[in-house]
Amino acid sequence: MTAPGCLFPDFLDDIRFTDLTWAGAGPFGTKVFADFGAEVIKVESTVRLDSVRTGGPFKNREYGVNRSGYFASRNTGKKSFTIDPKTDEGRGVVLDLIRRSDVVSNNFGPGAMKRLGLSYEAVRAVKPDIIYLSMPMYGESGPLAGLLGVGMTISAVTGLMWATAYEPGDPVGPGTHYPDHAANPYHAAFAILAALRYRRLTGRGMKIDLSQVESTLNFIGGAVVDWAMSGQEPEITGNADAQVAPHGIYPARGEDVWLALAVERDDQWPALCRVIGRGDLAADAGLATADGRRRNSDRIDAAISGWSAQREVGACAAELLAAGVPAARVANARDLIEDDPQLGARSFFQRVPHPELGESLYASLPFLIDGARVGLKRPPLLGEHTHAILRDLLDLPDAEIVRLETEGVLK
Amino acid sequence: MQMQPYSGIRILDLSHWLGSYCGRLFADLGAKVIRVEPPGGLPDRVRESPGSFAFLNASKHSLTMNVEGKDGFDRFIDLAARAQAVVMERDGPLWDRAEDMRRALPGLVVTCVSPYGRTGPMRDAPASDLTLQAAGGIAWMSGRPDRAPLRLPLGQAAMVAGTYAATATAMCLRDSERRGRGHLIDVSAQEAIAHSLQNAVQVWDLEGRISTRGGEGTRDATEDVFPCKDGHVFLAAPPALPNSWNGVVGWMAERGHPSASALTAPCWEDREWRKTRAARERFFGLFTAFTADLTKAELREGAMARKIVMAPVARFPDLAMDPQLAHRGFFRRLGGHLFPGPPYLLSEPVWRVGPAPALGERQEAVE
Repeated sequence: MTAPGCLFPDFLDDIRFTDLTWAGAGPFGTKVFADFGAEVIKVESTVRLDSVRTGGPFKNREYGVNRSGYFASRNTGKKSFTIDPKTDEGRGVVLDLIRRSDVVSNNFGPGAMKRLGLSYEAVRAVKPDIIYLSMPMYGESGPLAGLLGVGMTISAVTGLMWATAYEPGDPVGPGTHYPDHAANPYHAAFAILAALRYRRLTGRGMKIDLSQVESTLNFIGGAVVDWAMSGQEPEITGNADAQVAPHGIYPARGEDVWLALAVERDDQWPALCRVIGRGDLAADAGLATADGRRRNSDRIDAAISGWSAQREVGACAAELLAAGVPAARVANARDLIEDDPQLGARSFFQRVPHPELGESLYASLPFLIDGARVGLKRPPLLGEHTHAILRDLLDLPDAEIVRLETEGVLK
Repeated sequence: MQMQPYSGIRILDLSHWLGSYCGRLFADLGAKVIRVEPPGGLPDRVRESPGSFAFLNASKHSLTMNVEGKDGFDRFIDLAARAQAVVMERDGPLWDRAEDMRRALPGLVVTCVSPYGRTGPMRDAPASDLTLQAAGGIAWMSGRPDRAPLRLPLGQAAMVAGTYAATATAMCLRDSERRGRGHLIDVSAQEAIAHSLQNAVQVWDLEGRISTRGGEGTRDATEDVFPCKDGHVFLAAPPALPNSWNGVVGWMAERGHPSASALTAPCWEDREWRKTRAARERFFGLFTAFTADLTKAELREGAMARKIVMAPVARFPDLAMDPQLAHRGFFRRLGGHLFPGPPYLLSEPVWRVGPAPALGERQEAVE
């Protein structure tokens, strides 16, 4: 198989964003539009820098506003426009951008857009069919709207943190700000795409009020409905499964090396026993069914660990897969980047040149389109496009741009 | 009839696990999403729990049709000629016919969802939620340092894959409607998970460090789950969130709690020391001495008043009593049960949820 080629889609080349999102979840949701050809103008300010520009990781561990890999990964293909939106002139310039935009996006806390003079009503007054995305943690108003949030607090209040546990009553929670990296940015992106089609059908814009808690609750929606139907909370099983066995994460040879495997059907059980050389277990009639295996999971897990702990993890997974048993190395980021034949064959990681980050690495969007990767364009330097946008999009004369610069509006 | 964003769009849905959520998102916003099922039903009718099936297939329709063999494929193409998109999934009907569909119907968007993608050495490899979370890198990121990695609960591989599939399908539908170009989308669940690892890829690439499950050396002592009077709370009060730290210590002082003075000792100004096991154990003792007499609700009130990043670790019954969710009317009723409301509130009344279909339900209406 040849490696997939690269595609730079123009599917959204008629769409412009005034993008006020910052940190993680918001920019990740608007990035996909830039990757598909929209003009996404990231409105930033040096007065209050985007927190992921100032958080790491940094190229060679040296701090710099254009050196953060986290920022880079959330902002590919965007333009950076710096302005102080707290000045009257700055706000006027942002409204001028909005007049020429299809979408305005933000992920500030409740009330922040209103304080900037950029509430939905204010924005709609200058652009009646605007699509306006807002994504505060718990919603714009209400008794808990003021609760401060990060991804992990969203996990906490949704039940996701409680359910991420080895044993009942001892919640661990996801190790990342998980809701920021899939549920919330991509629900937001899907909603914007829907709103664009609705505008085409009806001529009407809309406000998208995405409560990150409600968005994340949908990611555990099936379990919520099961609970509503039965009154039973989900069983806390760690890496095990409530129905099938064996099912878990087992040690492999080396330090902190792990193998995941799942026997989901009864016919996979004798196959597993053959691979681990335990015909005696396959012959045990008490272990022929999932129920029987669950009752004896300690004994079975010990047998699997005894086998896997002596062996190289890749070989373990390969033997199990060849026998038809779902299995995988528990991969870390280094494994994925340097030693994953599948991701390698599909060119999942891309290197994109950048003046300060060099040829740094990006995860591609997780799909091929017509057999090709969506190529990524580098993220912007802070304020890189301010002058060009003022001149070419807002038609400001050079003297006016110089004046705004001198008076500190463009910082 | 109120126009909806996907009014006029018809999607044939052959998915049964990783692709199911994709069609659900479209169906609530007006697309007619039709599960095209073999006479015995797609496998998710047996495999999914009742709640998951109801959730992932809400608002969809169902039609039974034998699509195997030449006649079956032709019948399917006749149906697809009146659709704009098809969602299919590995180990389900017509998986190997995606290119044939595209040839027969050049304007069609065909979304193929699978564990590892349609290409590469793992394209046929058996997979489960657990093994995909392992292969995609998210299982590595959770758990305690002295134990095995811990996967995320409640079927997250399918949620992540389905959401990315929906976004890609919507992008391609737009191009198909605007320029008449159909597309074949090849979504890999492994990649979807690997795309959702926070900044772990850049941490390795730029700094040569492997992001690993929480604990000493990585997270601040305050960033953790702590028991309280009636459950647990999550707190984050690292030096990077000074308001949160000062709020915690200030609140302890207000209540005359002895932990306040212990937390003003100079060692707490040392960011690196705060990441050590000793600091974690110390903080855990001091903080839980304070939270032992306070309920989740009291801690939440205190957090809001003092700008502390802290939230209750909700259990499922707490969700039904959450005052904020109640204020926003989040939960709906469907089939006599509570049912999650939309992931986004839209200012136009265009989101509607209906029950998941029985096998072949309202067949005539969709044929």
